[in-house]
Amino acid sequence: MRDTAARAVRHLLNWRSLRWKIAALVTVASCAVALAVGLLVHRSTYERSMNVGGGRAMTALYAELQNYRRTGSTFAAEPPETIPLPLRQQIDTAGDPVVWYDGHPDKPWMWAAVRLGDSPVAVRVDMGTDLRSRQALDRHIVIAALGTLAAVVPLAALAAELLNRRLRRVARTARRIAAGDLDARTTRRATAGGPAARAGGRGDEIAEISATVDSMADSLQARLLSEQRFTADVAHELRTPLMGLVTATELLPESAAAVLVRDRVQVVRSLVEDLLEISRLDAGAERADLRRVPLASVIEGTLARTGLTACLTVTGAPTAETDPRRLDRIVTNLLVNAHRHGRPPVEITVTGREITVHDHGPGFPPSLLAHGPQRFRTGTPERGQGHGLGLTIAQGQSRVIGATLVFANPPAGGATATLRL
Amino acid sequence: MTLVIRGDMSDLVAEDAAAAPVRVLLVEDDEVIRTTVAMALERYGYRVAVAGDGLAGLERFQEVRPDVMLLDVMLPGLDGIGLCRRIRESSMTPILMMSARGDALDVVAGLEAGADDYVVKPADTSVLVARIRALLRRASFVPEPAGAGEPLGDLLVFGDLVIDPGGLEVSLAGRPVALAPTELRLLLVFAARPGIVLDRQTLLTDVWDYGWDGDSRVVDLCVQRLRRKIGPDRIETVRGFGYKLRR
Repeated sequence: MRDTAARAVRHLLNWRSLRWKIAALVTVASCAVALAVGLLVHRSTYERSMNVGGGRAMTALYAELQNYRRTGSTFAAEPPETIPLPLRQQIDTAGDPVVWYDGHPDKPWMWAAVRLGDSPVAVRVDMGTDLRSRQALDRHIVIAALGTLAAVVPLAALAAELLNRRLRRVARTARRIAAGDLDARTTRRATAGGPAARAGGRGDEIAEISATVDSMADSLQARLLSEQRFTADVAHELRTPLMGLVTATELLPESAAAVLVRDRVQVVRSLVEDLLEISRLDAGAERADLRRVPLASVIEGTLARTGLTACLTVTGAPTAETDPRRLDRIVTNLLVNAHRHGRPPVEITVTGREITVHDHGPGFPPSLLAHGPQRFRTGTPERGQGHGLGLTIAQGQSRVIGATLVFANPPAGGATATLRL
Repeated sequence: MTLVIRGDMSDLVAEDAAAAPVRVLLVEDDEVIRTTVAMALERYGYRVAVAGDGLAGLERFQEVRPDVMLLDVMLPGLDGIGLCRRIRESSMTPILMMSARGDALDVVAGLEAGADDYVVKPADTSVLVARIRALLRRASFVPEPAGAGEPLGDLLVFGDLVIDPGGLEVSLAGRPVALAPTELRLLLVFAARPGIVLDRQTLLTDVWDYGWDGDSRVVDLCVQRLRRKIGPDRIETVRGFGYKLRR
């Protein structure tokens, strides 16, 4: 329970998750839009406010000039010494009236001035309220942008989570298929004629990938089933005549020839069984029947049944969750191989979850060490005869019970096969 | 598995032939297997009747009333599984299935249809004989004094399930339950140790007389069949260990 909660939290905090990437993308995009809109609005209101301010200043200047023409004196004009220097320079060079914004941060003024004879006439209008209304507008834009982000980003994360969930279902299904559950599908199976409930699919790319995974699983399952059926049919076709042969040879009257025939029948029989076992392993038809067993007694039993001599050393009382029949098969094959191709004494060591079979022969051939066991290859002629299926089966069976089988030639000599459960 | 009994079999013949000869019905479509297995079993003192397909097998079964049946899974006409089911409708004769495919589907289907045991072809005659003997022992089962302090002959009562280990009768809510020999023996083994978890290996040894190499699926499937007959929740599955009968 705590485990799943921890996993969910880890899932949520994984910054590489698509959810956070999409959320970040949406944030960046929204910020960019807000910034661009904000700048444009800011700029155009500034320009408008300058135009309006300039117009007001000009109107004031013309009113002042008319006043001057009528009365010969100025009322509202600023004293010439207060005219800022840049404005003074401008009216010195230009003959026409000039509008100038002083850009003061707190109390900005819009000036309008003209040279009248020798003396400059300048009026100014207050731009303070204008500035404050523009500042208020900027503030509102920022607040609106932040508010939008606060609403949109969680929504984006949520929408991404929906996609994420569908993607995770696809990943989970693929994992289950890889683990051997061939009935796993991303979509719930269509019920009698009804349409399949897609994984929230609306014809987008995720629906496509789900459909692809499903069809992959379908074809994989079909292939596996046909291969399993083939193996089963081959088994039937081979075993039926073989059974007749086995029982018939048992009926033969005792003679040297009968012993010979029985012996050969046994060879053919074990070869057929080995081949069928390999093809079942290849077809993936084998499923382990796991249960907890004491390793010492299983190995002792195996040793007793093979009738071969080996020195068994067990450390402690190891137990393991495994399929005892398959374990027996693996250890038997390793033992038979050690006796057939190696030299005694053969030693079996059981430590923890590790079973080691060691012999004092010439060691495994280099090709086996490099590529693992290959059917019908016994390596070098001096390793004696055999059809080379025993170790292939041992390897396949250890894969079925989820164990690893490693072959090595230790420096001290001989050959060592190590099975880790 | 590969042990072949050769040489003088007179002692074995004497053992089996001492009583009235055991009647075996062999249903097998392959002529060679049919002939050779019949001959081999006759050497062990069994009286063997044969049939070549499922429907003929059913007819022969009514005629011969065998003590034990050997049944191939793949038969023309009515297949082994169907035949097994048909026979189970009316009879508790022990049935040994022979499967050449040996895959899970065959085995499971056969055992679900009510077979008591199965062998994978090719099987040595000695293996067939050993399995037949185990089946017959089960069919003429006389229980050891039950554990849990119950004296022999007394009824074992588990709610509305009543087992008479002496008379080998089982009734559920007052109505008799027809159990195949294997199912009955399994139930008696459970009843002898109620509330105690029995692992599959123990059950294989006690009920099926298997040594090490038993297939634990026969246990699982027989438990399922038993559950269907005596109620689903009397036998509890203890995951990773085995089964136990609720007190």
